[in-house]
Amino acid sequence: MNPIVDLQNVTKSYRDKLVLDAVSLSIPTNQVTAIVGKNGSGKSTLLKLIGGLIKADRGEILYRNGEPVRFGYVPEVTPTYIPFTPIEYLTHMGTIRGLQNKWLQQRIHTLLEIFHMKDNGNNRIVHFSKGMKQKVTIMQAMLEETDLLIMDEPLSGLDLEAQTEMEELLISLKERNISVVLTCHETKLLQRVVDQIIVIDQCNIIQTENHQAQEKSMNRLIFELTKTVSIDSIKQQNVIIKQEKEMGFHKKMIELNVSEEHTNKIVSEFLDRGASIKLLEPLHKKETEFLNQF
Amino acid sequence: MKGLVHYHFTTYFRTYKYVPPFSVFIMMLVINYTYVPNPILDSYSYTSIMLFFIMGWFTITIFHAEDEGQKQITIMHAKNKKVYYISLILNCTLTALVLCIVAVAYPVVFNAFTPGLHSIHLVMGFLAHFSLAVLSIALSSFFTRGLVKNNVNSWWGVISILIGSLVISVEKVEVLKIKLINWVLPPLRYSMEIMSVDDQSISFPVKVYGQFAWIFIYSLIVITIFIAVMEKRKAL
Repeated sequence: MNPIVDLQNVTKSYRDKLVLDAVSLSIPTNQVTAIVGKNGSGKSTLLKLIGGLIKADRGEILYRNGEPVRFGYVPEVTPTYIPFTPIEYLTHMGTIRGLQNKWLQQRIHTLLEIFHMKDNGNNRIVHFSKGMKQKVTIMQAMLEETDLLIMDEPLSGLDLEAQTEMEELLISLKERNISVVLTCHETKLLQRVVDQIIVIDQCNIIQTENHQAQEKSMNRLIFELTKTVSIDSIKQQNVIIKQEKEMGFHKKMIELNVSEEHTNKIVSEFLDRGASIKLLEPLHKKETEFLNQF
Repeated sequence: MKGLVHYHFTTYFRTYKYVPPFSVFIMMLVINYTYVPNPILDSYSYTSIMLFFIMGWFTITIFHAEDEGQKQITIMHAKNKKVYYISLILNCTLTALVLCIVAVAYPVVFNAFTPGLHSIHLVMGFLAHFSLAVLSIALSSFFTRGLVKNNVNSWWGVISILIGSLVISVEKVEVLKIKLINWVLPPLRYSMEIMSVDDQSISFPVKVYGQFAWIFIYSLIVITIFIAVMEKRKAL
């Protein structure tokens, strides 16, 4: 899949302090990418570079094979006091942006539908919960048709319920072919949604994981074996141990996820140790999503 | 620009932050004109200085009416920091214009002046109020949150600069004798000198208009410097 944004050896400094050092990465189209890292690791700078809000000192940023990309930017700080209703607020922001009123009203109507906020369109934002205020902040970023939505710490300060709502919102944006890139401290909160994780530390990208690719080619295995049998050497291989529990006095049950290419080898090693297969099935993303709800 | 000015105005209106300065302004007008009759130009000079201070209060509250996080978003939609700050200054100027009209019209409507009111007195009254109000906006803008992070420092800064400007003008401080410094200091004294003439005067030399014009030009230069500084700042 063609990337929507491609960064090649991008370097950025602020007042002689190096923030990003020759960073290269690709933001895939119609996927959710999370940039993870500690405070001050350069996440927000990377986000602003991707959105073209700041310029790189060195390196190249290429957008979708040279085609123009329409950005929406959601800053880290969610406004706490907005003395308007969502319709009034979005009308003001759109007018300031120079959008034509008739088109703008239609767009606001569409956004209220996407964000399930039609019933709250005429209520004052000051009375909204944090999660709803965050939704309004995202809506203002999407006033124009958006290809790539850039969100700085969208989960910060949200309670569990609001986080779940945010996850659902991100899934629905993805379904509407909107690419999303966001920053966060940890990915656990968004594991149902995120397709690609970029880990950034000390001015560099130290890890890039593609969740979807992983999940598509993974298998889930459950074995039953004698308690005394050691599986330490297997644990050190390409497996993800999901669960290990004792079954009576002599037996134990172990559940693990293994990539497709390693499945045969792992199965044969367990069988060599006298284990019996209780389950062997491909792990699909949809199923994982379903199971994660419980 | 029109959309931005309208947005800033509505935001300010809905925060009700205008209520305290506006109430104080009206109260001071009422108190000042309680006993009648009053000298014309003297009264206008007094209320213009009052407006000079009240406008500092209005300027800070207009600049700080918007939520700090929202400010970033608004600048992003405006795509230009200069336009954003010009819109705020325009809102302050429009507020000043309304207050000037109120300050000039109030004693006329309530017949609070001695007989002999001439239209030129109204023109001078309006120029005195409006020039000092614009000067106050220009000076106060340097103490808004874009440049002064601490809110307390904003208020102390504004009060200090406004009182300082007044003291230098009233006391005719020694530094005024040095011509170069004379040009740099806020030209508050011109308005006070013009307004100290007798009420019988119904014609004013062209120089007077030049002095009012200098107050406006001085304010415009200060505002231009403020906007240039804000544009250069990295943080929104």
